Amino acid sequence: MIEVFFDSILYVFLFLTLYLEVFFLITFFEERLKLAVKSTTDKLSYYPSVTIIVPCWNEEKTVSKTVHSILKLKYPKNRLEIFVVDDGSTDNTWKAVQEFANNPQVKLFKKENGGKHTAVNLGIENSTSELIGCLDADSFVEKDALREIATAFNEDTKMMAGIPTIIIHEPKTILQKMQKTEYHNIAFFKRMLSPLDAIHVTPGPFSFFRREVFEKIGLFKKAHNTEDMELALRMQSNHMRIRNVHTARVYTTAPESLHKLYRQRLRWAYGGMKNTLDYRFMLFRREYGILGMITLPLSLFAVVIFLYNFSFVAFHAIKAIAEKATEIGTVGFLFAIPTTNLFFFNTEFMAILSYIFLGLGLVIMWNGVKLAEGRFRPSMGILYFIALYGIVAPIWFTRAVVNVIFSRATSWR
Amino acid sequence: MKNIRAQIETKKYVFAFVITAVVFFSALLISNIFSQNRIAEVKSIEDKIAMDILSSETQFALLKESSCKSIDHGGTAFSEELGILAARLSYMEEKHGDNDEEVIGLKKYYSLLQIKDYLLVEQVRQKCGVKPLTIIYFYSNLGDCEDCKREGYVLNKLRDEFPELRVYSFDYNLDLSAIKTMKSIHGIKNTLPALVIWDENYYGFKSAEDIENIIPQLKRIRAEREKEEATKSATSSKK
Repeated sequence: MIEVFFDSILYVFLFLTLYLEVFFLITFFEERLKLAVKSTTDKLSYYPSVTIIVPCWNEEKTVSKTVHSILKLKYPKNRLEIFVVDDGSTDNTWKAVQEFANNPQVKLFKKENGGKHTAVNLGIENSTSELIGCLDADSFVEKDALREIATAFNEDTKMMAGIPTIIIHEPKTILQKMQKTEYHNIAFFKRMLSPLDAIHVTPGPFSFFRREVFEKIGLFKKAHNTEDMELALRMQSNHMRIRNVHTARVYTTAPESLHKLYRQRLRWAYGGMKNTLDYRFMLFRREYGILGMITLPLSLFAVVIFLYNFSFVAFHAIKAIAEKATEIGTVGFLFAIPTTNLFFFNTEFMAILSYIFLGLGLVIMWNGVKLAEGRFRPSMGILYFIALYGIVAPIWFTRAVVNVIFSRATSWR
Repeated sequence: MKNIRAQIETKKYVFAFVITAVVFFSALLISNIFSQNRIAEVKSIEDKIAMDILSSETQFALLKESSCKSIDHGGTAFSEELGILAARLSYMEEKHGDNDEEVIGLKKYYSLLQIKDYLLVEQVRQKCGVKPLTIIYFYSNLGDCEDCKREGYVLNKLRDEFPELRVYSFDYNLDLSAIKTMKSIHGIKNTLPALVIWDENYYGFKSAEDIENIIPQLKRIRAEREKEEATKSATSSKK
């Protein structure tokens, strides 16, 4: 009886998950013609003035590379200014950025430490440009990225924010390679959420806003260490359009160790849930479209669904391992050739559903890579993602749920 | 600010729902088809075994007083067939649960076939004086018999190693009068796992070693086989 109850919940969750995958794949087929890479050699009809803010805190090693990558952007120098804001670094960041002190495009600011959003806000307050963006000091951009963003703003006057495709730069560890594939998947979903007006994060690296966004709804606010999500939700609650410009590519470095990844993802998962709770008035309200109906409920419940499905898989895996252990303990290890008889091929409903999920997942991954990288290249990251993600993600998801329930805040680092 | 949000037509929500439902229920359907095929496969094995038993019985009735050698029912092929059936049934039992009507039906048929085979072997024994290697095994999978799983592993291993060994396994709780009679004939108590070896009852977990001690022939068979293999490899290395 109990088993039937838990199985039924699982079936409902699996149906919902499948529904979402189908929904996004339909969107993909609707959008596929618009996904072709446009030529970027053309001159823009208009170059909006742009400020790029680089907030940095103890980033002596990477900040210079970041600023150089901005200076190399194909964009008229008189239309682009860079604000480097040192948020009270305790290392040699301030010294490192002095190499740009005499560059007319670069302005240096130094302030007391107050958190990333305060550094960005200082930049916004000092900017008079039409477009204001931000680039974290651990990221750098492709030369054409800003032109792509500016083109999108030119073409759509109602677009209030444009977010890029984020790609993991030179992954080395298995975890980083896994994240590269994860970011490809995110690229796919971001691109699909874009025409649905359902993007709920304007990520730190290279998101751009029209200045009137800040004039109308204010600056970044402290929000559970996920300020970029709060601003996106505030924009969405005011019906401001956020679009994904998938041809604008920005590279970022991924946490290399499990502990660092855990800290980052705990912050994301916790912040995601807390911000959603803060903006809960948008939940399941049709006037907020797919955002209210799908994206936001997902950022609240996806964790629960994921954990539930995971514990189901884990329960059965542990049971199978325990049985194998009893068998080996009883009769020793038998060197039997694994049976290839089709009779023993698992064709239970749940098994067939997982084959379907795997198939759809691969379609999404394939197209995610194509979107992010321009063409599909097979990589070990895909294997790592399939094999590892389900094992490592529950670590931070569980903790995030616990933290939300007990209202324990997460820290940045 | 005016709501400039993309308006999603209800049609799209419904369309996605229909596709999802189709995929979801197709998975259910496919899974059912496979499971039906499995049942059909098990049934056909059972029918083949029934035919074999009937054939042996007929042969036995025909020959009655004549030479025991011409009775073809002591071989290993038949025992292997029972083994194959047992493996499939236990897989289905695991996947479909113990309450599945189809599985219970197949198990009852399987139990009857085992009893018929057992009777036939007994008759051959009495007539011809051969001492067959048989183990009758009673188990329960109601969760009240922790050692049954382990005993199952042991018997499977022995069955794989000695095709001459006939293992008849019965679900103690299966509602079948023939099984009840078997239980009362052998006086089996509800202390599982229970083994009947040459009219002697053994209760509780018995390891492969314990069973080999009860049936010393098994050790002999192994020794002979090893000797045979040794001479075989010796002659092949001579070449």
